[in-house]
Amino acid sequence: MKKDKMKPNKAEIIEVIQETGSNLNVKTYRVKFIDEDVRNSFSFRPGQFMMVTVFGKGEAPFGFASSPTQEYVELSIKETGRVTSAMHNLAEGDIIGIRGPYGNGFPVERAEGKNLVFIGGGIGIAPLRSLINYVLDESKRDQFGNVQMLHAFRSPEDALFKYDHAMWENSPDTVVKYTIDNPCDDWEHCVGFPHTLLASELDCELPDALFFTCGPPIMIKFITEELKKMGIEKKNIITTLEMRMSCGFGKCGRCNIGHYYVCKDGPVFTFEQLNEMPSEY
Amino acid sequence: MSIKTANNKEFEEFLKKLSREYLLYAPVLNEKDDKVVFEPINEDNISKITLGCQADVPLKECILPYNEKLSIEENPDKKIVILGARACDIEAVRVIDDVFLDEPVDPYYQDRRDKTIIIGYSCAKMEPTCFCDTVGIDPVEHDSAQAYLYKEGEKYFLKVMDEELESLFTSLPGGNEEELAELIDNRRNGMADSNFEIDLPVPVPEAAAFAASCWEKIAEKCLGCGVCTYYCPTCYCFGFFWQDKDGEDKWRAWDSCMFSLYTKHASGHNPRNSKDKRYRQRVMHKFSYHPENYGKLACVGCGRCIKRCPVHLDIRSALKLVENELKEEGGK
Repeated sequence: MKKDKMKPNKAEIIEVIQETGSNLNVKTYRVKFIDEDVRNSFSFRPGQFMMVTVFGKGEAPFGFASSPTQEYVELSIKETGRVTSAMHNLAEGDIIGIRGPYGNGFPVERAEGKNLVFIGGGIGIAPLRSLINYVLDESKRDQFGNVQMLHAFRSPEDALFKYDHAMWENSPDTVVKYTIDNPCDDWEHCVGFPHTLLASELDCELPDALFFTCGPPIMIKFITEELKKMGIEKKNIITTLEMRMSCGFGKCGRCNIGHYYVCKDGPVFTFEQLNEMPSEY
Repeated sequence: MSIKTANNKEFEEFLKKLSREYLLYAPVLNEKDDKVVFEPINEDNISKITLGCQADVPLKECILPYNEKLSIEENPDKKIVILGARACDIEAVRVIDDVFLDEPVDPYYQDRRDKTIIIGYSCAKMEPTCFCDTVGIDPVEHDSAQAYLYKEGEKYFLKVMDEELESLFTSLPGGNEEELAELIDNRRNGMADSNFEIDLPVPVPEAAAFAASCWEKIAEKCLGCGVCTYYCPTCYCFGFFWQDKDGEDKWRAWDSCMFSLYTKHASGHNPRNSKDKRYRQRVMHKFSYHPENYGKLACVGCGRCIKRCPVHLDIRSALKLVENELKEEGGK
């Protein structure tokens, strides 16, 4: 990386994937650094994040949606504010800025040899996908135990990463479940909020399991309450937070929760850690 | 270490020499708004250097400009001398150093800091809003300046702590070490305490102080104007902005945790969505979070936030209320 950590490296959008229908606009961008040295030296861990610049519009933090085992960096963006809307106006061939990676990432070493459960909701699945695709990568798969996933979307047309589903489902020792909020025609999977399905659809009693969850705050709240009821220890429930940020590495001062900075002490925290922190997120 | 002395005329010649060879900042009385601010010194304003009172605006602007284009090439080539920094402001530079020189280092800040020489100025009295002694600072002298200036009547003393800087002061005659030691002793003995005592551990216990119910009462009249953060010598928070349409040139500017937009997410969610939460953040950052992360308080007791607050919020009263509430809780 350049010495100048506050300025982005230029990256070309090489593919734009429209993930969802118009009601919940999510696109995934596959990008490639222009500078060859940056391209070759850039590495990150699942769960870290990058600061993305839309030139002339602004900069915002986004988790990596891709695994470091994949050829290209991918980011999935839901159209929400100024930067994300500007991002949605970009197309293949356009140039964005990327700096990073920042943050601690998921505890990959701790997950080795363990059974893993992923519970994601909406755009919250994007950061989980970084670890899911890492764990399910052929070169890594035997380092991890059983994998279970529950992906929650509002409706079938809001499903993300459909092109990954076959790979996920066909991975050894892997169970994949999908749920939507309300019943609808031609839907063969689960219906209902994910916390109501944990007991019936997943085996949460597997020994030595780690639970990774990300989604809307209200979903995370109910998931953790449900898991705690099942006797899952708080240190084994892991999530990743978002926060408004400028710098991404502990200088600009805005993403703190108590004395922790989400940018450098997080964004990944266990619920044991979150319980110790002031509830200001 | 060496001691130099000067009379008014010798001191002025010394300043002129400094201002030619260095980018010299010193507190200057700006007559337009009757404020003392650190400004670059030249032939025109050298006579307006004002050392006798606390500068209204702290010196942080000399090392962390209120806005700057992110480019080391834009930084001054010359070495920077900041003259007239009081102990509170010198300690504040150390607080900002904690953050900006911590890995990963902020290259723009580091470049300016590497070029900066600080000449401290010994306080002779506490102002009513001062409480540096409460936060463990000696207003007479701070040992992280490279040199220190003492003025008594018409006489100046300079103590050069950094031997590499001796050449800067060769034009000045040598001073009497004992005479200066006596002056320092007299100041330390003669200066009245700030009369503000606080009985809270450092760092202030995060969970208990965060959960205190008094914040709402404390911040009731806060206007959220952010003036406390702009005048604060340790407030360093910033945001980025772009002035050109294509967004190539990146700038940064001071930002303030007192503003509601500071933490507002694109989704509309705001973790600090009320003024009591924002005021709590400012106080807790100084007395709990920064000490927890860096081992020292991030309030230097300069009292500028008290002087400048349009609704007379007083950080000392806020701390007292927190102290009382924690004691009551502890006593239960």
